[in-house]
Order: sequence, then structure tokens, then C-alpha cells
Amino acid sequence: MVTSKVTPAAGVRARPARSRSLRGPLGTSGLVVAAGLIVMSFYAAQYIGSVVLLAFTYAIVTAGMAVQIGFSQQIAFSQSVFMGLGAYGVAVLNTNLNMPSLLAALAVTVASGLVALVLGSVVTRASGLALAVATIMLPLIAVGYLSSAGYLGGSVGMPLTGSLWPASSPQAMAVGNGMITVAVIGVVVFVASRILSSDIGLELYVLGVDERMAAAMGVSTPRRKLELFVLGSMFAALGGAVYAGTQLFVPATLVDPTAELSLLMMLFIGGRRSILGAVAGALIIEYVSGASTWVSVNILVVEGVLITVVLLVDPEGLAGIVSSLAARLRRARRAGGAAADGGPAPACTGHASAGTGSAVAGVTPEEVAAADRRTSAFGRSWQARAGGRAGAPLLECTGVTKDYGGLRVLDSIGLSLPARGLFGLCGPNGAGKTTLLGVIGGSVPPVAGRVLLDGADITRLPPQQRFHLGVSRTFQAVHLIAGRSVLDNVAVSCLSSHRSSLAAGIVRSRLAQARDKAAEALDYLGMGRLSGMEVSTLTLENQRMVEFARAIAARPRLLLLDEPASGLSEPQRERLKEVLRTVGDMTCVLLVEHDLGLVAQITERIFVLASGQLVFEGSPEEFRNSAVVSSLLVGL
Amino acid sequence: MKFGNLLIAGVVTGSIYAVFAVCIAVWYRVSNILNLAVGDFAMVGALGVDYLFRVDSWPLPAAIATTLAIVGAFAYGYDQVVLRLAQDGRRRQEGIVITFFFTFALSFFIDGVAKILFGTDVHAAPGLWNGNSLTFATGLHLERAGLLVLGCALISGLMFAIYIRYTLSGKAMEACGENNLGARIVGIDTRQYRRIIFVGTAMLAAVFGIVESPITGYTFLSGATISVTGFIAAAYGGFQKPGRALVAGIAIGILEALLGGYVSTQYADTLMYGILAALVLARPRAMGFESAVGG
Repeated sequence: MVTSKVTPAAGVRARPARSRSLRGPLGTSGLVVAAGLIVMSFYAAQYIGSVVLLAFTYAIVTAGMAVQIGFSQQIAFSQSVFMGLGAYGVAVLNTNLNMPSLLAALAVTVASGLVALVLGSVVTRASGLALAVATIMLPLIAVGYLSSAGYLGGSVGMPLTGSLWPASSPQAMAVGNGMITVAVIGVVVFVASRILSSDIGLELYVLGVDERMAAAMGVSTPRRKLELFVLGSMFAALGGAVYAGTQLFVPATLVDPTAELSLLMMLFIGGRRSILGAVAGALIIEYVSGASTWVSVNILVVEGVLITVVLLVDPEGLAGIVSSLAARLRRARRAGGAAADGGPAPACTGHASAGTGSAVAGVTPEEVAAADRRTSAFGRSWQARAGGRAGAPLLECTGVTKDYGGLRVLDSIGLSLPARGLFGLCGPNGAGKTTLLGVIGGSVPPVAGRVLLDGADITRLPPQQRFHLGVSRTFQAVHLIAGRSVLDNVAVSCLSSHRSSLAAGIVRSRLAQARDKAAEALDYLGMGRLSGMEVSTLTLENQRMVEFARAIAARPRLLLLDEPASGLSEPQRERLKEVLRTVGDMTCVLLVEHDLGLVAQITERIFVLASGQLVFEGSPEEFRNSAVVSSLLVGL
Repeated sequence: MKFGNLLIAGVVTGSIYAVFAVCIAVWYRVSNILNLAVGDFAMVGALGVDYLFRVDSWPLPAAIATTLAIVGAFAYGYDQVVLRLAQDGRRRQEGIVITFFFTFALSFFIDGVAKILFGTDVHAAPGLWNGNSLTFATGLHLERAGLLVLGCALISGLMFAIYIRYTLSGKAMEACGENNLGARIVGIDTRQYRRIIFVGTAMLAAVFGIVESPITGYTFLSGATISVTGFIAAAYGGFQKPGRALVAGIAIGILEALLGGYVSTQYADTLMYGILAALVLARPRAMGFESAVGG
């Protein structure tokens, strides 16, 4: 029934290689460790060795920042404080309690995690700039306290005697410290890149792009923000501990805002979203400042010029420059290869190898069969979920009221929808349609009234919990995650990681399963061939369809669509109508739309809002003949 | 009397913060960039005048005029080269975070150059209005330099308010802040406003550096501290509202003075930052943060 609407050939897509997700993080950390081992084995006791050691110390911190600040865009200026916590902690434990530095480093890192948990549960309630402003106070407070209280060596700093690797000869000590640092950076890089490449990494990416969209896709944003804060803080404390254990002196300047800025400089020069970039940034800044006396004296000028130039070339820093160079090189090579073959290169290979990517042309029968299988599997699993209680309404709103300031946008709205079917919500601009969708979806808290889903009161539930209950929505303006493929954009709503902790992302990744589910939804809509494309290269119709695919990929029981047809041409609207009719057989759809013809043609019941009040409810037939509707919407 | 004197001191410091906060907020409205280098221009103003006057023995007016001209020319050049490349090209608009870093980098650069030129000692521009502090009958004291600061703040604030309210170009500037694309569609050259206000605020900051430095004294690193306080004050105004930034700046100045006077001189700053952080976390919406976050 459904498959007839899907062009089988177009439904075929190549699956991404699964082994990749593990090879990436291991390869990344292996590269760093190998480079570090070489340097430490041969140059540990020399000047260059000490520079690289210090750079790696900072890289431990910046790798955590790449996850927290770069990738997830949670700008917290608290790294230098936690770095200080780690460093001073080791110094105090070592000097006062004679604890070996290595043990102290571990103890301090764990303790910092606990501190970060407490502090973070307060601080991460803020988002965006509020978070940045609240946390920029931390280094200011710390440095003010240290210098005026005179504890821990006051405004100078605190020496310690026990190095990470206690040895009698300086040579052996340098090598031992170097090896330990390399081991630590290896673990840190592995953990960080493993998280980023897992399903939780995709959650974090969405969180970074748009916190509200993340919540609408089921991401428990408060929890992720707290976990990110703890992760960044623990990495920073670990970096600080290594600093103390290798430099044998903790300067008070380690915690001040300037130190925080230098760390950020390293991150942004290297590339804020890239773990390798963050490590490279630390190496470059440290190397440059150690390279000559002139540079180390005038490091401010050098850093200022360097970051300006790098960011002007590419906002993603050196990592961005390298990857776009590599992409250009690959394209050049592929173009050369294709010319030799005498055939054009496929436009949208994505994860696919060049052979299977040219989907429509050379599809094998097995591939078509696989696409068909996925399509029908999707339909079956959706229908199984949509169930609901027989006869009882799926959604019930009673007395929903919303004020913006003194303006009443929704005035005691009551409506009720069954488990299946298409329903229209119309009204002039400013009638409160989108606000009503927001109230049902959970992004807008009503001042009065109740929203029931399947008989259960969900009025106070946040959007992410409603998503788990089966409420899915699209936005009036297209909200997609730029920089990610179509497949990943759809996979966002198929993640099963919402309830697992950030640490679970290190152990296992279910990104492949989420992508499989997403592929089913894309095949169902006949969009499989788009799955490898980057979303910002798509046409508006396709972007809207990707958003639609994302909304249905979770197999929702209630689908809220906000003006899906706006900006689409007539043939595109015809196609949309077909899709909506199919989806209406599976689930309950509430459609906000200005195209009255479209609404009247496909829906079975229409609600009309005007100035926050429900002025009409009836069948399309009644809708066409209603005097109220004509005067309001058609202007007759 | 102690309270009155603290209040006066607080208002003087606060008006400095307020001026920098307003500079940051006004330019952010027009350009969507937070200028974290605004304090560094103040530092260059103070140390530049001091250097020309004291070391090179220039006459004071010439030293002031030259320093201001250099600051203005530098700001103009920076806008022409860096900001134009960063904002006006084909590239899509980056978030607030990236543009943060351009001004961070600018601040680093200016500080580094100042270190080379002026050294690391504490200096100040010569007092413009020397003499004993003014004493009122009730025992209130006011430094002459402080009065100058207040006067300058009042004059520049008034001029700016008149400009916004009564001139066409002021309205156009408002339009840039309300909706950048919309402003361009109706024929307002938003880039020109970005440039004018960047250069204007840089020179204004330099003026305040010259006027204020006799009170506190500056080093090459002072700029960052001023910028941070201005940034915090502007943040409490949601970055978009110069009026609220002004109030927040003065309030922070008074808070700092009162904490220093009544609680502890040593821990005044620490306490103040603690209170400010608590305010952000407790009432983000009331403090104007939500509007700035764009969510």
C-alpha cells in the first residue's frame, strides 16, 4: 500500500561502514600517543621535550574544551579555575600529606569531578551568554581570593617536590613524566573523540546548534549540560594535576582570566570542534612561545595576530583549514579519476562508495528489495506503536490559556483528537496557531488549562519527555542542523541514548542503529538517495521534507506540523498532500496551514482560531460553507 | 558621611563602567559583535598621552590630540581590514562566539603592543584639573578628576541620547540594531554605522582613559579588567539595551565601593563577582539574559 508511492530505485541507499566509528577515536588517540612517545623517548630531557610536555599538559584541558565549548557550544569560562584546583590540589596533597603525585593527581581529578557536579548543577541552569557571564566570575573570584588571602603561596604560587615519576636522575624523571603525560593525553583524546563520534555526540551537536530544537528532539538538555560541565572540569583538573606534577611549581597566574583566555586561544586556533585540532592548537601556541625570546616576550602580539588570521581564513581553525584542503584535494583527484573513466562523478555519494552511490542508474535487485523491506518494516513498527486506546481521544486540550504580557494569545481553547487522522488548524496571522502547537509540544507553558495525551496529564512535562511519549513536531521556519548529512539530521530523532549518561558514549555507540532507523524513514518517503548530502545544499522543498522525515522517523503518535507547505510550489504541494494522506492513516496529525484548499482537501476535521479563540470546528464540507470562515479567512 | 563618600566614589567608578558598558551595547546592537577591546583603547589613551607628554615632552594638548588620532586611525584600519573580511564577505554569519574572538585577539594585540611601547609600570595621563579634592560643607569629598569623569560621562551620554532621539542618522542607527537585514533593504549602510560607532567608541574610550587614569593609574594590562567589567555590566542589560547597561554599570560601581567600605577592602572584588554570578543564576530573565541568548 505504501510502497506504491515510493520509487524503489530512489529508495536505495548505501549503508555507512560500521567499523568507522571505532577506528576514528582509536586512530586519533594513537596518532597523538605515537607522536608523543617519539618526542619523549628522544628529547624528553631537552628543551624541545619540555615544550612538548607543557603543550600536552594544556592539550589535556583543551581536548575537554573542544567537547564542551566547541562541539556543544556551552561557553563556560571555568577551565582555568579547575586547572588551578587540580594543580593546587596535587601540590597540597604532596607537600602536606606526602602523597605521591601520581596518586594525588587521580584523587584530585575525582574530587574535582564532584566539585564540578555541585557547582555545575547551579551554573548550568543558565544557557548561552548567561552561562558565559556566570562562569567568567569564577576565575575573577579565584584569583582575587588567592592573591588577597595569601593562602597557597598567595599571588606568587606554590612549589612542590614530588614529580609524577619520582626518579633520582633528572633524565629518568623527564622521560618518566613525559611518558605519563603522553599516556594521559592518549586516554583523554580517546575518550573525547569517542564521545563525539557516538550517538551522544550527535545529541551534543544538536544541543550546540539549538537548545530548544534539541529538547524538541528528546534530548534531556539540562542533564547533558551538567555532564558536559563535569567532563570539561575533570579534564581541566587532570591537566592542572599533570602541570603540578611535571613543572613542580604552581603559579597563581594559572587560574586568572588571562590563562582562561590563552586556553580558549589554543582551542580556537586549533579548531573548536576538533579534538586533534585542540591538541594541535596547544602545541602550536606553546611551540611558538618557546621558539624565540622575542616571541615569548611579545606573545600577546603574536597570539593576537595568529588567531585573527586563522579565524579570518576559517572559523573552524586549523582543523577546518586542513579538512577543507583535504576535501579539495579529494575532489580534484576524483574529478581526475572520473574523467579517466569517461563518466560523471555521482553528485551525492555521501558515505557510499562511488559504485553504489549513483543509485538510480545501476541498482541491483537486492538493493531494491532491501529498500522495500525497510519501507514496510517502518510502516509496521509505526502502526504497532500508534495503537492507543480504542474510542478514547489521543489528545485532549481543555481551557488552554496563554498570555504574553497583557496580551491574551490563547483564550480557553478546548480540542480533542483521535488516534488517527489528519486535522487542520487554520486562522489569520497572529491568531495563536503556532502558540497552540507550542503548548501541545511543550515549548510554551500555558497559564491555565490542561493538555492530556492518552488520558495522562502532560501539561507540565518538558518537550523532551513529551517527545518520548510520542509527540513530534516540525517548525514554521526550517530548523535543520547545518554541517551534518541528511541521514544524521533524521537520525537525531531516532536516538535511544537520551536516558544514558555521557560516559556511556565512551563504551558503546548506537549511532549506527539510529542511522538505520533514520534510513527506514527516508526510504519510506522515497528520499533515500539524499541521505549522504549536507542539508544546507538542499532545496527548500527537500529541506522541509528532511524536517518532515525527522518528525516521522520517531514513529510519533501525535505529529504537529507547522506550515509544511509554505514556500512550496504547486507540484511540490501535490506531492506533500500524497505523503500527508499516507501518514494520516498511521497516526494523528495536527496541521497548521495557510493553504486552505490543501487543508480542506486532505483533512477530516478543521479548527479555526481567531484572536486566541476557537471560532469554528467542523468537517471540510462545513468549513467551505461556513460564513464565519469566509469572513475571517477568505475576506468575503 | 562614610556612606555618602562611598556613594560618590561608587558613582564615579560606576560611571566609567557605565560608559564602557554603553559603548559595548551600542556597538553590539549595530554590528552583532561584542567589543572586548574597548578597555584597551582606554589604556592606550592613558598611557599614550603619558608617554608623549612625560617621555617625549610634548605639549599636553598636542599629546592628547595625537593619541586620539592614532586610536581613531587604528580603529578605522582594523574595521577596514579585519572586520570587513570577517563580516562582509560571502561567508555565512558566524555565531556570537567566533566574533567574540576577533575582539579578544584585538585586545591581546593592543596589550602586547602597549607592553612594547610603554613598558610594564603603572602610569597615568597627567591630571587635567589639578588641585585639592572638592569638599562640601557636610564633609563629602569629591576628587576633581572624578568630577571630570562624571562630567564627561554626562555630556557624552546626553549627546548620544539626543543623537538617537532627534537625528535621522540616529534613527538609522537604531534601525541597524533592530534588524540588520531590514535596515540594509531600506537603504541604510549598516557597515558604515558599524565603522562609525566602532571608531567613535574607541576614541570615547580613549578620552575616558585619559580623564580617569589620574585616579587609578594604568598598566598595559588594565584594559582587560575594564573591558570585563564593562562586558558584565552590558550583559546585565542584555547587550541590546544601552539604557540598562548604563544603570547596571553605575550599580556595579556603587556595589563595589560599598562592599569595599563596609565589608572588606581585601575581598571587595571577590564578593562583588560572587554576588553578580548569583544574580545571573537566580534571575536570568529579569537580568535581561534571555533576550540576548536569542532563544
